[in-house]
Amino acid sequence: MKDKVIAVVTAGLTTPSSSRLLADQLAEAVRDELSGRGIGSRIELIEVRDHAHDLTNNLLTGFPSSSLREVLETVAGADALIVVSPTFSASYSGLFKMFFDVLDDQALAGKPVLLAATGGTERHSLVLEFALRPLFAYLKALPVSTAVYAASTDWGPNAAGLRPRIAQAATELVAALHNETPTQADPFENPTPFEDLLNS
Amino acid sequence: MQFGVFSVGDVTTDPTTGTTVSEGERIKAMVRIALKAEEVGLDVFAQGEHHNPPFVPSSPTTQLGFIAAQTSKIILSTSTTLITTNDPVKIAEDYAMLQHLADGRVDLMMGRGNTGPVYPWFGQDIRNGIQLAVENYALLRRLWREEVVDWEGKFRTPLQAFTSTPRPLDDVPPFVWHGSIRSPEIAEQAAYYGDGFFHNNIFWPITHTKRMIELYRQRFEHYGHGAADQAIVGLGGQIFMRKNSQDAVREFRPYFDNAPVYGHGPSLEDFSRETPLTVGSPQEVIERTLSFREHFGDYQRQLFLIDHAGLPLKTVLEQLDILGEEVVPVLRKEFAALKPAHVPDAPTHASLKAAAERARDLETIEEPPTVAAVEESSR
Repeated sequence: MKDKVIAVVTAGLTTPSSSRLLADQLAEAVRDELSGRGIGSRIELIEVRDHAHDLTNNLLTGFPSSSLREVLETVAGADALIVVSPTFSASYSGLFKMFFDVLDDQALAGKPVLLAATGGTERHSLVLEFALRPLFAYLKALPVSTAVYAASTDWGPNAAGLRPRIAQAATELVAALHNETPTQADPFENPTPFEDLLNS
Repeated sequence: MQFGVFSVGDVTTDPTTGTTVSEGERIKAMVRIALKAEEVGLDVFAQGEHHNPPFVPSSPTTQLGFIAAQTSKIILSTSTTLITTNDPVKIAEDYAMLQHLADGRVDLMMGRGNTGPVYPWFGQDIRNGIQLAVENYALLRRLWREEVVDWEGKFRTPLQAFTSTPRPLDDVPPFVWHGSIRSPEIAEQAAYYGDGFFHNNIFWPITHTKRMIELYRQRFEHYGHGAADQAIVGLGGQIFMRKNSQDAVREFRPYFDNAPVYGHGPSLEDFSRETPLTVGSPQEVIERTLSFREHFGDYQRQLFLIDHAGLPLKTVLEQLDILGEEVVPVLRKEFAALKPAHVPDAPTHASLKAAAERARDLETIEEPPTVAAVEESSR
């Protein structure tokens, strides 16, 4: 079977960031889960921070730079996504949102997504449900039901609580992968014949 | 190959002086640019159509008619005519009228317009953009080609026994280009009718423009209008020139950095790399423009944007001098030398009229003999 491509989009700002730390653990768990089923995988890690200027430029000019275009194509072509945002002002970060604002709005249609977020306190954990989940519902992606939130304490005394959630979410993502991911029709390869446009 | 300039018609504050020209001054400046374009030997002047500030040209045929009266050679065109929010009946009338006044020196470029509120201001909805372009243009073609039109569609009130006046000059409708930045449906539309396709590639990377043009060429062939390399392609370009490259960059940078659309975004260097923007010496502009042919094949029309972002009229006229003296003569020679014989030039009123006459002659010759004639000859 072909290796599964898992795109990991993480929008932490510091280096290293706790979002990246969580992203790596999620990617690792998904890779293990796949290999446990005898499926190979390729992890494509995308640090949104590296494309911050290009994202702004894309919003202003309407087109992505060549390096950003490659990244957007990687995400559109992946079999599944892991997304991690830090929690800013009770929501996903602006930079995280910008990435999905410039992505083609059909690019994630039917794609399994593992939602994750980080924050200073666990009081914000529902950001996953009231901010990230609706965003990915709008993009017609298929977020798995377990989403993973890591607060500062999860990296210390509460780590035992985080691990099973990571494992559960990874299992769900891999299970969702077994369904065929629909691919987007290319309007340049198969243009709508003009008679159809004329008669519609 | 045709060379020309296209103007958006924006009123933008000159970032180097803080001066903002009045609408009247900008309108007159556009006229001055058109006259100068003819004077320096360019082939085309095209202007945009907008219905919101900071743009002035809401009424292109008024302006183009005024320019037509003061010119004798240059082709007057649009960049673009809003096929979505204008009444196709009014487009048919306005541009046939202009054709007569300008002795056929008129063609049009259809565009949809991407300013959301303009649609409701004219009773339309941007979500119907493609459908409006398809239906309105189909009607426009009939109005120019059929004397009496009965018509019913989705977006406009029906027509019963309607004749659009004046009829197109010599019964030859103006040539039409279809401009689109990203919609494959419009490349398809241009190909279906055998019309021209223009890509205003000034804001877009070459890889994207190439896909659009390749699709148009391939579908042009599919619909039987000729081989793919005979399709009629036009391209935009954006240039600023000084004798020395560094002077051009130094002078243009504040305009670039503050320009509407891409200002405060990518650097001039990044944008020059990603898009056809060329800021440098006349020789650099020549080389860059010639390179378009390698990406898009032999094409028929090259329009340059030279008058936006608050550039003073004096500077724009200097750009036209450089274009006319140093750039276009070289480009004409080089492009002509590279173009194979089977690749046509862009249609003009004269060439379309000649083609229509040939088609009529052919019809007379090939008309099947009548029954009476056959009986006569067998006797």
